[in-house]
Amino acid sequence: MIKQDLNELEERSIFIMREAKSRFKSVAALWSMGKDSTTMLALARKAFLGKVPFPVIHIDNSIDFPETYAFREYLAKKWKLDLIVVKSEIKPEMSGFACCGANKTAALKRLMKERGFDALIVSIRRDEHGIRGKERVISPRDRNFKWDYKNQPAELWDDYSSSRDSKGHVRVHPLLDWNELNIWQYIKREKIPINSLYYSRNGYRYRSLGCTHCTSPVKSDAKTIDGIMRELETTDTEERGGRDQDKEREYVMQKLRALGYL
Amino acid sequence: MGITRISLLGHKDHGKSTLIGNLLIATNSVTEQRINDAKKTSKKLGRQFEPGYILDSFVEERENEMTIDTTRAQIRYKDSGFEFIDVPGHEELIKNMISGASYADFAVLIVSAKPGEGIKDQTRRHLFLARMLGMKKVIIAVNKMDTVGYGEKEFSRISRELSVFLVKIGFSGSGMHFVPISAYLNENLVKKSGKMRWYKGDSLIETMYSIAEEPNRSAGKKLRVVLQGRLEDGSIEKIAGKIISGTLRSNMKVNMVPGSAYVIKELFVKGKKSGSARRGENVAIVFDKKINGEARGRILCGEKDGFKASNSINALVFFTSKLVRKPMIRLNGLEVSAKMKVKNSVSVVTGEAEPKKEITKLGAANVELLLSGKVPSEPFDDTPELGRFVLYDGNEFAGIGIIN
Repeated sequence: MIKQDLNELEERSIFIMREAKSRFKSVAALWSMGKDSTTMLALARKAFLGKVPFPVIHIDNSIDFPETYAFREYLAKKWKLDLIVVKSEIKPEMSGFACCGANKTAALKRLMKERGFDALIVSIRRDEHGIRGKERVISPRDRNFKWDYKNQPAELWDDYSSSRDSKGHVRVHPLLDWNELNIWQYIKREKIPINSLYYSRNGYRYRSLGCTHCTSPVKSDAKTIDGIMRELETTDTEERGGRDQDKEREYVMQKLRALGYL
Repeated sequence: MGITRISLLGHKDHGKSTLIGNLLIATNSVTEQRINDAKKTSKKLGRQFEPGYILDSFVEERENEMTIDTTRAQIRYKDSGFEFIDVPGHEELIKNMISGASYADFAVLIVSAKPGEGIKDQTRRHLFLARMLGMKKVIIAVNKMDTVGYGEKEFSRISRELSVFLVKIGFSGSGMHFVPISAYLNENLVKKSGKMRWYKGDSLIETMYSIAEEPNRSAGKKLRVVLQGRLEDGSIEKIAGKIISGTLRSNMKVNMVPGSAYVIKELFVKGKKSGSARRGENVAIVFDKKINGEARGRILCGEKDGFKASNSINALVFFTSKLVRKPMIRLNGLEVSAKMKVKNSVSVVTGEAEPKKEITKLGAANVELLLSGKVPSEPFDDTPELGRFVLYDGNEFAGIGIIN
């Protein structure tokens, strides 16, 4: 993984978030309490002079880790976040594709409709997955949350198309250019509070955090950010290797995203 | 060291995705998991291993063996980082090609030496667009050298023909490099090939490395700040802006175009109060007085700067479609409708001005635009960020333009 100029990445993310705020009527952000969306909130505080000026949404399937819930309460208070928790249904017979696709997306759809958000900030990165590598910074979704990946808008020179279905919304991706290593470098530089599950405990740590059902830890002795960064310099596995849904089937991410998954 | 962004250009099937795939593997920049995934897909489709599948992740891209939309991949080489931007080679997907290539610092153009392939109109069109996107350097990678027995003749012929074209569209001799390769067989990508001893230059990645090391042209020193809009309303209004060139300081007197003279009372950088801000930084500004009307799209420049807004601009435009509705241009956050008068067409294949005055799909023209309002801009060659625009036909992307 490559080191990039953090200042450059930071400025670009700031620009994108300001752009979203000035172009769209009602902006919200998804917050999973993971390292990426927490970094996004830290960047928002820079862009908007110390505050996060939009609601942050946690789609809660009630099976996240206890550490994750504790971290949510801690940071929401510390950073005075306008936190919206939406409960998504979890059916025992569902997992992976069906669970993330049907349950989380359905809950989000209800909320978006209720609150009338027209822009949703999502902290995905290109290096996470081949399909995410194909995303635009501002990416329209239709009223059914569908991603028309075969006909994406042109995007160049800081000019982001705002065309969208009148009942649809746009996804805003301020972290698209960052890679996993950059995120950790930035967390260290900015001293961003982070979920303790990322650090090694008994020889294992979570490299990517989902819910308790679908995420498993990876072998690791990294107990500090420096340790994590050293590990990433030499890793030969995918960041989302501990996520069930990506492994389940080929092209599953493409299907999920086309249906509106995050 | 930072990262250098390189766009891969060229006609479809000349090997762009294959090249990036093999470079990723050769430099250990991709995980086993992703290579195995590409291997599995190749097998499932009954084909030989295709490194291009590492990048082409859409199911349609793999099944139809074509890149649909742009994607990126980072590689590490020596003390440097490169980010490859793969773009579709198909004519119909030029919108996606432009979107991807617009982020690049320079381009690697692939042209196949295979008999029957060679230089295509699309090869030249991509180079023409690279120039319009502001790239000053290009590497021509002459690919599939294995199909011509690794001989020098075809390489020299292609190099000669393209260098004439490159000069015509504005590249300098020192801005172009030619490297013979076989992307599929890994010849001359990272290690120098033993099969082309007549070639005295560096391998492809070494050539990229030396170009990335060359110092970039220093940006202009004149103050240019694009205002993005109001960040905070209320009694103390804060305006967001991005510094394109120069340095902004608090207590500085500036000119707002369009508008009048203002004093910078307070300046915020990265969320904190600051005495100054430099190129590339996003700022929040408190002025000595409120701005009447929209702030978005206005430019700040020095007090005695001659920078102006105008409702008429002359530009070179590349069209991705014929215009059927009223054209609209977008620049610096503004959207302005325009009346377009074609002065003359420009061939993207020869680089020459033509006597006809037509707009052709995937063609170019010199035009005069009469805008519905005054818009601040300056020539592309002076300040690229303020001298370029995106053209829309109603709501549809229709091309790009650079201001003369």
